[in-house]
Formats: sequence, structure tokens, C-alpha cells
Amino acid sequence: MSIFAAAFGFGLVSMSVIALAAVGFTMQFGITNMINLAYGQVMIASAYVAYYLNRAGVTIWAGMIAGAVFGAVFSFLLNRLVYAPFQRKNTSLLGMVIVSLAISLMIANVLLPIVGYFSVSYQEHGGSLVRIGDIVLTNNQIVIIVLSVAIMLGIHALLRYTRLGKAMRATAANPTLARNCGIPTQRVIDMVWLITGALCGVAGVVAALNSDSFAIANGAGFLITALAAAVVGGAGQPYGAMIGAVVIGLVTELSAAAWSPEYKEVVAFALLVLVMVLRPQGLLAKRGALAAAG
Amino acid sequence: MKTTHARMRIGTAACSLALLMLAACGGGSGTTGGGLGSGDLLVGVLAPFSGVDANLGPAYYAACLAAAPSINSNGGVGGRQVKCQQFDTRGEPADAAPAANQMVASNSNLMAVVGCTSDEASAVAPIVNGAHIPMFCMTGQSEFNKTKLPYFHRLVPADIYDAYAMVGWALYGPSPAPFHKAALVFGDDIGSQAFVEPATNAFTKLGGQVKNFPIKLGASSYRTEVTQVIQYQPDVIFTEAIGSAGTFLGEFKTLNSGKMIPIIGTSATIDPEWFAAVKGAIGVDDIVKYYGGVDLGYSFSGPAYAEFLTNLNAAASTFPQAPKYKQRGSTLHLYDGIIMSALAMVETNSKDPKVYNPKIKEIANGTSGATEVHTYKEGVDALKAGKSIRFVGAGGANTFDQYNNSVSGYILVKYNAAGDEVKVQDLTTAQTERISQAGGI
Repeated sequence: MSIFAAAFGFGLVSMSVIALAAVGFTMQFGITNMINLAYGQVMIASAYVAYYLNRAGVTIWAGMIAGAVFGAVFSFLLNRLVYAPFQRKNTSLLGMVIVSLAISLMIANVLLPIVGYFSVSYQEHGGSLVRIGDIVLTNNQIVIIVLSVAIMLGIHALLRYTRLGKAMRATAANPTLARNCGIPTQRVIDMVWLITGALCGVAGVVAALNSDSFAIANGAGFLITALAAAVVGGAGQPYGAMIGAVVIGLVTELSAAAWSPEYKEVVAFALLVLVMVLRPQGLLAKRGALAAAG
Repeated sequence: MKTTHARMRIGTAACSLALLMLAACGGGSGTTGGGLGSGDLLVGVLAPFSGVDANLGPAYYAACLAAAPSINSNGGVGGRQVKCQQFDTRGEPADAAPAANQMVASNSNLMAVVGCTSDEASAVAPIVNGAHIPMFCMTGQSEFNKTKLPYFHRLVPADIYDAYAMVGWALYGPSPAPFHKAALVFGDDIGSQAFVEPATNAFTKLGGQVKNFPIKLGASSYRTEVTQVIQYQPDVIFTEAIGSAGTFLGEFKTLNSGKMIPIIGTSATIDPEWFAAVKGAIGVDDIVKYYGGVDLGYSFSGPAYAEFLTNLNAAASTFPQAPKYKQRGSTLHLYDGIIMSALAMVETNSKDPKVYNPKIKEIANGTSGATEVHTYKEGVDALKAGKSIRFVGAGGANTFDQYNNSVSGYILVKYNAAGDEVKVQDLTTAQTERISQAGGI
């Protein structure tokens, strides 16, 4: 078996999971100007919603839908009840980051006594193996890849071909102008939090499913990976986040195969630094979907 | 200039507020008078309660919750009640040092500190030692093998002995041992990697092959690492991988076409959370069939253990997870450490750690003609009768060396389906010596 082919297959799975997380994260920033550091904790909370349903006999795929609904509603409420009031008071971006960090810690500490600190597993983790040459994937991982591709296409269609998508792009480009043009920006922002919250929920469930075993402590790791992919691609750019996910997902696994797994994160973050040095705005900053509609 | 003054005022106000808060938090009990003083005594549980190793702190907190009623229901320490408080290190030295500083600065009634795992022991032990508080640390790091910190105590063996015992399982354990080709799967942090060198030295010198596969603890997946392990074709995996064992072993089973191979775990894997995580990932049948662990030779019986178990079960009313730690070695040992500290205070009739700290070792090792006691009550009664004592607690007898390290013999164990430890066989002294000599550290 070629370790590189196998690692490439694993990279495909990783990038699918990362893309789901990173696109939601970057859309929140691109459209609402909010760096939501609580994103990873909402992901892990959604994963636990699916876990408890799965333990009660619900399939993990139905649990994933429930996780998406939870993520959507929670994110919507988070914005309406916490972030939006601060933004209305013109809190600085740095101030908003601190607020989201505080929310992240609060979610983690509220969850801890409820879900415990120990690792848990879905009842349908793993699944049977499918071999494509030297690439070895489980059924669940193939579903995750297909699901991720479908959702990415859906996001593309939403942003490019729907009125809501165009309204999102207009709001991202200039919210004041968009409002003056008759776009209900508040409703658009609500929709953004619902959609990205649902993405966050789905990402949390598939990340946990892909991980075989997960715990509350994984929330921070989820955030870091999504953040890295979003920054590599260009903060606020959904297509950039997709490319960032491909880069981070493949590089981590292939570098683990080429050198030592100890260095896979080092390589990924060295790449992140390199992109920041050579192209500080990220790979797709000027040409992303959320650039001003032309 | 005006801005500078304003900042200074704000800074001064913030410092004043912080000092006020420290004063408000401090101790909460007066320690007036000589002897044992008055007011509540505090045992600080300084350990990870969040982060990747969040499963460690609760096991130590449970020890304190079991020890406190043993002391409190028997008159306390000269009438002073023992309380337990968590101080979260998050398993990171950068968070642990401020937590330790805050603990010692704001609690003048600290009688002992328990916890301090390999994650943070290097950072916190000097702080606790500097505050002259006896500590019982759950670290196997070799830097403490000959520590010069007089307030440091270790009731568990150094990691090298765990590593040797794992090699013992591989070479002298029951069928399908002996094994010949081992994959070492430990976290890539310094604490976890402490197992690697002694295990590698001992196993290779005794005829085995071994390869190290360090993993980043807390990662969401290890598929590439697992594929590399499978390509190596080991007949056994040595591991600990606290917090990540479920993910790693679950992926191993999946990518190995649903088949497990024997796993030998450190004493830290004798843990209900480790069992639950791995059981969830590979199934209870496989963990029962393929897991082997090493542990100190606990009897889980006798008057000391009976009292420990009663108190641990009673602690469930305030800490529901407590009963799960009924066979966790570290929980037993820290329970003993707290009771020995209390007995040392009683024997010296002093609340001053500088006075009672040396007595802890004496009570653990015993002196010539000492009366063996198993509970706090027995100890206090014996002391009142003018006898010297040796405390043999829930975790068994202790023998501290000159560096306050206590080492005892190992047993080889497995799990049953309920997650309880089942003894398989003893590791003989001759076997241990042969492995230690081969390990050469």
C-alpha cells in the first residue's frame, strides 16, 4: 500500500470536514464583520446534540440534521442576544473578538458539567471499508465527502444565483449602501447566522463522526483548523475558505506521510505563515464570492 | 503625560482591586493560636479539570472527597474540618503556574496539595515547594526521581517503571505473549514520551523490535499515523494516549479491516474514562480480549479500602462521578497522602508544614516498633496512646526513598466487561530486575 495514496484519501476527508467548518466561519466574518471565536464550541455542542439523539436510537444522519438545526438556532440567538447589541454600540473589532472568546469559554464551561470531560463515540462510527486503489475510506467518510461537495455547490448557488445570496454580497460589501438600496440587511444578517450556524452544526457532527471518539476539549481544535483554512483562503471569502480547506487538509496528511506525523501541524501552520507573508490578504481576497457584486 | 497619569491611576486601582479580591478569597478561616490552630483546612486539588487531560483532575478530586470525611468524622485535625477545592491547571504549564500561585497566595489554610500531573508538575512543584506545602504529585517524570524539593512526594512510580512493567507484560505475560514487535503510541509531549526510551532500551535488549509512533494528543484524526503503524505490522501496541486513545484505536481497528491486535497500557490507562472512550471506539469485546495493563499491586480489600470505598460512594451526592474511581490507583494513593498529612499534623501537633512535612515520610515508612494503622481513626487513637505509627492505607504500604519517591511491585491486569480491573499475574522481582538492567536508565 502506498502511504501517500492513503494519506491523500485521508486528506480528502479532512478537507471535506474543514471546508464545512471554514466556509461557515468565514461567511460570518465576511458578511457580519464578526470573528466568532465561539464557533468551535457551537460545533462541539451540535456534535453532542447528535450524540444524545444517536444514543436514543436515532440514526447519526438524522442526528446531523438535528445538530444543524441546533447550530442554526443557537448561532441566530447568539448574534441577536449578544453580538448584535455590542455591534450596535460600535464595539471595536478587537472588543467583539474578546466578547466571542468570553462566549466560547462560557459555552465550554456550561457544557462541561452536562456532557462530562470524557470521550464518547457515535454508535455508527467507522462503517465498512471501501478501497479505491491504495485509498482506503469508510462508507461514512465517502458520505462526508459527497455531503461536503454538495453543500459547497449549494453555497455557490446561494451566493451567485439567488436574491438572498446577492443581498448577502451587497451587505458584505457595504451594509449602509445596501440598506439605503432597500435591502433588509437585518433580515439578511439573521439569515446569514441561521445558514452559517447550520453549517457549523453539520461540521461539528461530521468532524465528530470522522474522529471515532470526541470530547468537549475538541472544540478548540475545531476552531483553530477552521480559522487557519479561512485565513489561508482570505478572511471573509467562502471560496477562499474552500481552497484553504483543501490546502490545510491535504498538506497535513501528506506531510505526515512524508515526514513525521509530529510535524504535520507545524507544516500546515508554516504554510499559513508563508501565505501571510507573501499574500497577507489571503489567496482569494480580491476575487471572492463576497466581493462587491459587479 | 495626562494619559500616563490616568493609566497609572487605573493600574493602581486595578492592583488595589486585585489585592482586595485576594484578601477576600484568602482562606476564609482564622488560624489563631498555636498547635493545630482553628478554622477549616484546605486540600488543593491542583490538576487539569479542562483541556485534553480533563479526565485526570476529577480522579484526584474524588480522592480528596473520600479522605475528608475520614478525617472530619473522627474529630478533624485537632477539630479543624478538611475541605477540598479544585484548582484547574488546564493541563498546560502556562495556565498551571498562575493557578498554583493563586492557590498558595489566597489560601493560608492549605494543609496539602494533590494532583500535579506530568502536564504541569515541573511548573507547579517549585511554587508549592516554595510555599512549604506538602504535595502528592501524580507525575512519572524522571526529573523527580532525585528531586531536591522536600515538600514533593510521589506515591506512584516513575514512568520508567511503568515502561519496564509494560515490557514485562510483553515478555512474561500470559498468552498470546510473548510479543516480539511493538509499536509505541504515546503523545508527543515530553511527559508521554518519557515512556519511550526505557521501553525501547529494555525491549530491544531483550530481543524485541520496537518503533515509536508519537501522536499529537487531542487531534481529531490519526489515520495517516494509524496506516504507518499498520504497515509496521506490530504484534502489540504499547500505549497511553490519554484523551486520544479512543480515536487512535478506533481508527486502527477500522483501517486494519476490523481487527484489533493486543494493546498494553500504562497504569494511567486503568481509568474509567479511558475504558469508556476505548470501549466506545472498538467495542467492549475487543477491549476485554486485547487489552492488557500494568498496575501497582492493589488488594482492593481490607479496612482502609473499605472506608475509602464507603466514603467514595457517599461522595456521589456532591460529585456523581466519584464512585467510578473505586479502582483507580491514583485516587487510592492521593486518599492515603491526604490522610498521612493529617496524621502528621496530629502527631506533631502543628499546623506548620515545616514541622509536620518530615513526619509524613516517617508515618508512611514507619519506624522500628511502629503500630500499623489503616484508617485516620486508628492512627489518631494510636497517637493518643503514645505509639508511633505506620500508615498502610487504601493503596497499600508505602516506602519513600530519600527523594520522597515510593515504589512498590507491579501486577499485570486486564479489564472485565464492566470496566473493572482484573489481576492476571504478578511481575516477579527477578523479572523486574532483568528488565530494569536491560533498560539501563
